[in-house]
Amino acid sequence: MDPPPPPSSSSTTTHPSTTPTTFPSTSFLPPPSSIPRPPSPVQPPPRTFTHPPFTITTLKAPILKSTPIDLLQSRLGIPIPEMIFGDNHLTLHHIPTAYTLTFTPEPALDLVDKTGSTGLLKVHYATAWSATREKTSAGIKEVVKPFDWSYTTSYRGTETPGLGGQKLQRDDKARIPVELLQRRDPILFADEVVLYESELDDNGVSVLTVKVRVMEQRMLVLCRFFLRLDNVLVRVRDTRVYVDFGEERVVREYTAREGEFGEVKKKLYMEGLMPDQITIAFRDANQIAHLLPVVEHEVESVCLEGETGQTQEGR
Amino acid sequence: MPGLPSSVDLDECIARLYKKELLAESVIEAICAKTKELLMRESNVVHVKAPVTVVGDIHGQFYDLIEIFRIGGFCPDTNYLFLGDYVDRGMFSVETISLLVCLKLRYPNRLHLIRGNHESRGVTQSYGFYTECSRKYGNANVWHHFTDMFDYLTLSVVIDDRIFCVHGGLSPSIHSIDQIKIIDRFREIPHEGPMADLVWSDPDPERDEFSLSPRGAGYTFGSQVVKKFLEVNKMEHILRAHQLCQEGYQTLFDNQLSTVWSAPNYCYRCGNMASVLEVGENGERVFNVFEAAPENDQVKDMQMGQDKMGEQGQLPDYFL
Repeated sequence: MDPPPPPSSSSTTTHPSTTPTTFPSTSFLPPPSSIPRPPSPVQPPPRTFTHPPFTITTLKAPILKSTPIDLLQSRLGIPIPEMIFGDNHLTLHHIPTAYTLTFTPEPALDLVDKTGSTGLLKVHYATAWSATREKTSAGIKEVVKPFDWSYTTSYRGTETPGLGGQKLQRDDKARIPVELLQRRDPILFADEVVLYESELDDNGVSVLTVKVRVMEQRMLVLCRFFLRLDNVLVRVRDTRVYVDFGEERVVREYTAREGEFGEVKKKLYMEGLMPDQITIAFRDANQIAHLLPVVEHEVESVCLEGETGQTQEGR
Repeated sequence: MPGLPSSVDLDECIARLYKKELLAESVIEAICAKTKELLMRESNVVHVKAPVTVVGDIHGQFYDLIEIFRIGGFCPDTNYLFLGDYVDRGMFSVETISLLVCLKLRYPNRLHLIRGNHESRGVTQSYGFYTECSRKYGNANVWHHFTDMFDYLTLSVVIDDRIFCVHGGLSPSIHSIDQIKIIDRFREIPHEGPMADLVWSDPDPERDEFSLSPRGAGYTFGSQVVKKFLEVNKMEHILRAHQLCQEGYQTLFDNQLSTVWSAPNYCYRCGNMASVLEVGENGERVFNVFEAAPENDQVKDMQMGQDKMGEQGQLPDYFL
């Protein structure tokens, strides 16, 4: 996708006054004037939920228009995904210490390999494609600015340390208490925000989303990068943030998983899925994440307890 | 040409489809067979006359297709040219393509359908149309009827000898429009070659010539490519679809090329505008911008099925 300049020149109209002619088969349709028109897309207000000592904010806006896209592209230096929810975010704010952890698209895209130095992924038919390219086009050798077009990111959120300098530190002993999260405690607030998505020119999907659920005693955030490059590989990179409101403690766990496409397919088949179900499963990271080998895992924690807030070592 | 079976009444089919009712499998089979016969006679480059309203990607967003007819006029009062990508992604690909095919059969000279990269067996198996056909009909027969018919869709249209219309863009193998005419198009879209390029390639405003995509397959084309193509073929403008535009349309290369995008709020969550391009009798081009049809709200819950978080009245997601 290339930087689209603002639409220009040719004139534009919106909803001409011409009433559709009364073609018999369309008589069921309500006349246009009777249909309530939603207001034009405007910035929706953020959702805010305060559950002391934390405030959780989410914003879900439309994809960026061409001018902000141009600005973002020039800051990042790479073409950006076609579905760029540039204003979206999910933010956790610890009121007493002003500690914040926010998830937003720009820093996530800033972590994408912008030069292709890590070795570029290729679509599965790339070899066949280049081998059979016609002679007339064999002279075309220039690759458009190589970069990681799969938009793979290791983004774990953007942290602003607390007033007492509190920030996440590696803590191999910390863990997220899954058993407490499996309980069906009432959910007080929940939301899910897409940060960016690319269809990879119909070669799969690359999507970064973040979601949150807040219960009385605790909350969980999951920021997930999901890449499916058809017939090549599948990647899931999860950042889980667990907050215990009583202990005012934050645990962040990063898990990167990756598997070869054919291997995943085989495993789904071995689980008893029919071919149609396998196709559907490949669209849903939840159905395949557990089948992928873990390639990276790291846990960090920070304690925000007390207004002066001393950073504590892992408990 | 032999007619449709007497049991198939096209006007009745169209009336049903406007109400978003599905046609029977046997009817789809007959209609696709008939459409194949019709399309087979079309050249790879169909010549049409203005005025004509040009529509970009629809992607199964049936309510927005109806919105286009409401805004631009119904068939056959308005002539239409659709640039492809009728199916996949949206929830009503079957209804969308069924309606377009019936309108094509009923008004063959008033409505033209170009092939997009999604009108293919390979792509529709991954991006929704196959699954939707199987779910709505209980088997894949309808998908086979439609995708067999897709092999006959034309590749390009020329409006009044001055506007060249295609789904994706230009190809390094094609300098003259006559070279399009000799492509053997009655087949699945191949991975490479001029037929693939016409449905897949994208413009790159920062380049002059053709470039390779970093993905390892496919081309982008630059300003000099566009200029030369228009000169060689004595045309004024290239009109294509294929790329999401937040404003619903985009013009590039000193107004020598336009992208028209006709799926508002794409995938029911992008919040983008859409447009159709009205080409007037003297070649003037007017983008008619619109937003998602209000009916989309009625099925919002179904659409949001894949992320049912945060909305009231929906099951809480105890994700881990």
